[in-house]
This record gives sequence, structure tokens and C-alpha cells, in this order.
Amino acid sequence: MTDRAKIAINAFKEQIDGAVSAYLSSCVHCGLCAHACLFFNETGDPRYTPIHKLEPLRRVWWSEYTLFGKLALLVGLAPKVTEELLAEWQELTYNACSLCGRCSMVCPVGNDIAGMIRKQREGMVAAGYSPDGLKGASTRAVKIGSPMGVTWKAVAAQIGHVENDTGLQIPVDKDGADYLVLMSSMEIMNYPEYLEAIARIFSEAGVSWTLSSQAFEATNSGIQIGSSDIARELVSRIVAAAEKLGVKTVISPECGHAYTALRWDGPNLIGRPYKFKARHILEVLDELRAAGKLKTEGFEEERMTFHDPCQLVRRGGVLEQPRRLVKMVVKDFVDMPEAGKMNWCCGAGGGVSAIEEAGELKLTAFNAKKRQLEAVKPDKLITACANCRIQLEEGLEENNMDIPVIGLTELLAEHLVETGKAEG
Amino acid sequence: MAEIKNEAAFRQALDGLALADQRKAGALFVRAVLPLIEDERVAGAVEVAAKGGSDEALAAAFQGARRASIDWHTRCGAEGDWKEQAAYFVARAAAACVAPPGHVKSGNPAWQAAVNARMARTSVAIDEDGTAVRENEAQYRLLGEFLKA
Amino acid sequence: MTTVAFLDFVRGPLFQIAVAIFFAGLFIRFVEILVLGRKTDFSEPRQSGTGAGFKTVFSRSVPEAGTFKRSAFTIIAGYVFHIGLFVALVFLAPHIALVRDTTGLSWPNLPTPVVDFATVAAIGALVAILVNRMRDKVLRFLTGFEDYVAWTATFLPLLTGYMAFHHLLLRYELMLALHILSVELLLVVFPFTKLMHTFTLFLSRWYTGSAFGRKGVQS
Repeated sequence: MTDRAKIAINAFKEQIDGAVSAYLSSCVHCGLCAHACLFFNETGDPRYTPIHKLEPLRRVWWSEYTLFGKLALLVGLAPKVTEELLAEWQELTYNACSLCGRCSMVCPVGNDIAGMIRKQREGMVAAGYSPDGLKGASTRAVKIGSPMGVTWKAVAAQIGHVENDTGLQIPVDKDGADYLVLMSSMEIMNYPEYLEAIARIFSEAGVSWTLSSQAFEATNSGIQIGSSDIARELVSRIVAAAEKLGVKTVISPECGHAYTALRWDGPNLIGRPYKFKARHILEVLDELRAAGKLKTEGFEEERMTFHDPCQLVRRGGVLEQPRRLVKMVVKDFVDMPEAGKMNWCCGAGGGVSAIEEAGELKLTAFNAKKRQLEAVKPDKLITACANCRIQLEEGLEENNMDIPVIGLTELLAEHLVETGKAEG
Repeated sequence: MAEIKNEAAFRQALDGLALADQRKAGALFVRAVLPLIEDERVAGAVEVAAKGGSDEALAAAFQGARRASIDWHTRCGAEGDWKEQAAYFVARAAAACVAPPGHVKSGNPAWQAAVNARMARTSVAIDEDGTAVRENEAQYRLLGEFLKA
Repeated sequence: MTTVAFLDFVRGPLFQIAVAIFFAGLFIRFVEILVLGRKTDFSEPRQSGTGAGFKTVFSRSVPEAGTFKRSAFTIIAGYVFHIGLFVALVFLAPHIALVRDTTGLSWPNLPTPVVDFATVAAIGALVAILVNRMRDKVLRFLTGFEDYVAWTATFLPLLTGYMAFHHLLLRYELMLALHILSVELLLVVFPFTKLMHTFTLFLSRWYTGSAFGRKGVQS
């Protein structure tokens, strides 16, 4: 066996726990997962059947963790994991899976297929079978602090803009603040209005918050490429900054996987609970709403709908907050079919958008969202993830659909009641 | 008319303009940063805003400029190039100038154009490691001259 | 060997061996899963996963609306088969008698026409399932040798059982012997195949339900 295959197998073995073993024991090849998968549905390619994407992991489980599989391996009857297999499965593990998790919700025997694909990525990346785009992003994230190469200098420039445009002070490295606000590179580069929205909302609400010059990046390329080592390094920076500043809560921005990385994976990566709470910005805004500290005025006149980012809603558990917040400022709100925890993925999550070769597939995958939108014909589309946002904008543009996309935090800020704004 | 010296006055003056004038003012701000992008759609949109086009012309220009902003954005996870990102902000600024009502945040095309034009200038500064040229002051001057005319 | 001797052999020593292999196999497969365990989750849960885990064990049996629309055949045929098999297995008088003779437990049986209907429905559903497996694009792609083995091992007892009970085709003793033999085949292949889902699905649904539940998502 070659070295690369051996590396992958060892990494797979580390990932196989009781749950994985139960899952792989229970699969009956019913095929329901295929029909829940964005990529299969829009392409009709049976290779994109979710459970099929797990063949490398399955082979290792069978031949290493079951008696009968081990015996079968001895007599040469168990299929092996080879370099060819891994190379062939790279596309299935990365390009054609956004870790959206619909498959995990429909599997009749209860398999968390998306969770297993995340585990399979550990072996793939360890053996070098991961996409260049993600490798580059991860390297930049580790070396520079951002997968897109954004430095504090750029953030400082953004801060300058916001301070100038709003007349507010953006706190940086403030000890003992209640909240540490993180941002995603996508927001810093493409949607700088997010920081302004936060600043204005928090100022009105009297929230004590800060940015950290040591840890401003929320996204975690390690989670996307599937390397716990990289993921751990990246989340540790946030943990160190948060615990040094002594904040009570760290806020994850409008990004899907950043929430999963911070809230659900982070403590397990560092091997202990946090000394602070981890919340998504929408959770914090909803808390402010409930406490009467988020005051808005006026309603949008147009018909609007909400795209549920997978990592936030289905995989993250932030189910009710988005709609409660939307309804503060939208009267004509309509849900697309299958909205909520079964909503269809935009197609760009889980690292897919960073994979250049997956561009066409990603656009095809958008057709699921297209059909949902055609069913409700909204005037505008609201979402809460910068990556979803750009994918939605591209998909809509490509399909000649004139539906502006807006971020929820930004939308709320547009209706914010601002008392005595400072001289700008 | 008094010179515009600060943000509040700038904002107030812009809010006081009629929509067509807001578009024209916005076009001035975008023209100032137009060299940062090479894109006919964006240049075209600026012209339509400056000259005051029909609704159809505006809609067509908007589509083009919006398409341009999507084309110029940095793909998630890709290596960010702030010089190219400047182009993204210029495109956004141009799109704001010709956007139909309801498609512009804060309802003022000129303000959106100004904000994005400033981001464009800052992007270049980030790329070049230099201190940001405060586009604000240049915009105050432009607006002052526009109001006099 | 005479038919009666064959029947005695099949329902005697051979049955004991098959049952022994079955239970040993089940035990091994379960130990293999449980011994791996799952790491502690240090993240701050929204709620305890326990309740959600239990709920998912049952709620996964109810397909959500979108899935039902897209995979109606698989779901309906699957239910007809499973329910029919369950009724035939648990509510046929001779089966209950067998259990009573071995363990002392017994329960009321259902009338023959009811069990007959269930059995025929299960057999019909299985045939339809096989045809679908060979025609559907996804299933054709996923299906392998093991799937056919599992299907055959499940199908034969239903068919031979019905035939034996109704004295069809062959002499009763021979048909009965074949039925018991087919059950032994099922018992022996069971632990080596996906048929294990019969028991492991409680674990897999639990693992997923509790993990998702602590995040606040009922799945």
C-alpha cells in the first residue's frame, strides 16, 4: 500500500466512532438521501448520492472495525482504499457536497451522512486529496489570519469609514467588554455595511462590545477543508483573544460555517468548554429585540422571503430568530416552500465556493433555489450569510431574475430608530 | 451657498436634492474613482446617470453595473486583491447611481455612490500600504461645485 | 434421507446452530459499535440531547413531507413490506406456539385471513421493491451483491412460509422444512449484512437525534 493511502486510512480510522459504526451498519441502500441532496437532484448524477460519497470511509470501517470485515480483508474479499479511489472521490467529497445536511434529516435509519462527509475530509486532506482553492484559503488563514488574505490594516480602514460615516466610535481591544464581535473576510471585503450596521445597532442598544486586533476573523477554513489541526489553530486564536479580553460572549457574524466552527466544533477542537458564550449575531439581535433594546420603525413595502443558511438553521439550531427579526420590519413576508430547517442549500457552502473547478456545478445547484423563488415570487430576498449572499446574487443574475439580496442585520439597521445621532 | 465642510452638511445637502440630481451628483463621485476600473458597463452607467436617462436606459444601465459588481467581487476563500476589489466598489457605486427606487439602500443614490467610491479609494490604499486619501474632502468639493452650478 | 428425517434435522440441530450464529453475530456487531463510543461534546448545548434522541428514534419513521413526495414508492412499499413481515412473524399462530414452547411467553394471534393478507402484501411489496431496485437510476447504481443476498434471505421465508401454511406445491413436511431452512439462511446471513439495520437503527437514530437535539434541532 502506498504512503498516501496509508495516511488517509489512518486518518479515517481516527474519525470512526460508535456513531459512524452504527450509521454504516444501518444503511440499507434505500436511496432516499439522493433525493434530499441538492447536487443529485439538480444534475441527476447518481454518483452524488450522499451515502455513495462515503465509500472510502465505509471501506475502512468495514475492514478495520468489524470482525467479518477484517476476515474478509484477510481472504482478499474486502475492497481496499487506494490512491485511485481517493483521487476519484475528491470531487464527491468536496465539489459536490456543501455539508448542508439535508441527507442527515431524511435518512430513515437516522444516519448523519453530512457529518460523516466532514469526517471523511480529514483523511482526504491528510493524504493531500483536497482542492487547491481550499488549500490556498487554509494556508492564508493560518499564515495571514484570513483565508482571503485580509489583514488588520484592511479592517482598520473599514473602521475608519464606519466611524466617519456614522460618527460612532468602534471599540478595539477593549478589556472587559461584554461582546467580542468577529467578522468574516467576505464581509470585510464585499459587504462592509455589516460593520456599520452592528455599530449603529449596538450603539442604540447600549451594548458594550469590542473588536479584537488579534482575532477578527470568524471563518474557519479548517472546518471546510476538513482538517481539525487547522481548525483548532484558527479557533484557538479567537479563544485566546476572547479569554484575554475577558468578554462574556463572542459573536459570530453573518456567515454559516463560522457559527458551526465557533459554537459547536470549537470547544471540541480545544478539548474543553469555553469560558465565554458563543452566539450568532442573529441570536444576539433577537435577545436585544426581546429586551426592548432593538427598536425599529417603518416597514418594508415589498414582498420578501428568507433564505435559511444551512449551517445556521438546520445544522446550527438558530431556527426561530431569523423570522422573528424579519417580521419586525417586513409586513409582506412569505416563506418559500420547504423553508426553515428543510430549506434548500444555496449550493456554495462547505467550501464549494472556494473551489474554482466547482463553479459550474455550483451554478447548476442554484436551480433548486431558483424553483423555490419562482414559487413565491418575492421582490427581495433576505439572508444571513455572506457566502450564501454572493451565491444567490450570482445565481439570480445568471438566471436573469431581478431580486435584490439583502443581509438581515443590514436590513434591521436600515430601520433602526436612532436617537440623537452624533455629529458626523 | 456655503461650502460643505463635514459629513452632516454633506448628507443634508444630498438629501435635499431631487432624485435626478442625486443621480447626477452620484455620477460625479463615481467619475472621480472611475480610473480604478476598466469596465464599459460601469462607465456606461455613470454616463446615463450624469446625463439623466429614461427609465429604460436607467434599468439597462443598472443591470449592467450590477452584473459588473458581481463579476468583480472576490470569490469567497479566494486570495483577495484589494486593487481589484476597488473595481468592485466602483461598480457598486455606479449601480447605486442608476438603481431604480427601492433598490438603493437608504434611498439616496448619491450617498450610496459616495460611500462606495470612498471604499474604492480605501481599497487601493490598503493594497498600496499607504494612508487612505480621504475621498470625503474631494467629495465635499465636488458637491459644493455641483450645487453652485 | 427421508423427508421427515430432513425436517427433524432442520428444526433440531441445524436450527440451534443457526440461532447460535445469529445471536453471536448480533452480539459481536453490537459490541463493535458500542466499544468505539463517542467523544464527550464540550460545546454549550441548547438543551439536553436525551429527549430529542429518543424522539428521533420514533419520529424518523415518519417521513417529512418533501421526502414523501419525492420518494413515495420507496416509502410506501417499504412500509407495506415491513408491516406485513411484522404481522406474519409475530401474529401467526404457529410462530406464537414456537415462542411459547421455548420461552413460555405467548400472546393472541390474528385471524388467518389477516395474516394471509399481510404476508401476500409483504411478498408483493418485496417483488416491487426488487424491480424498482433494478430499474431506478440511483438504486441501480448503489445496489450490490449484498443487497441481493439480503433480499433473497428475506423473501424466501415469506414465500415458503405462506406456501407451507397453505400446503401448496410440495408435500407439507418438505415445504415446512424448506421454510425453516430458509429462516436459518436468514439468521445466518443476518449479522453479516445490512439486515443488521433492524437493530442498529435504534442506535443510529439515537446518535443523530441526540447530537442534533442538543443544538436545538428536532430531526
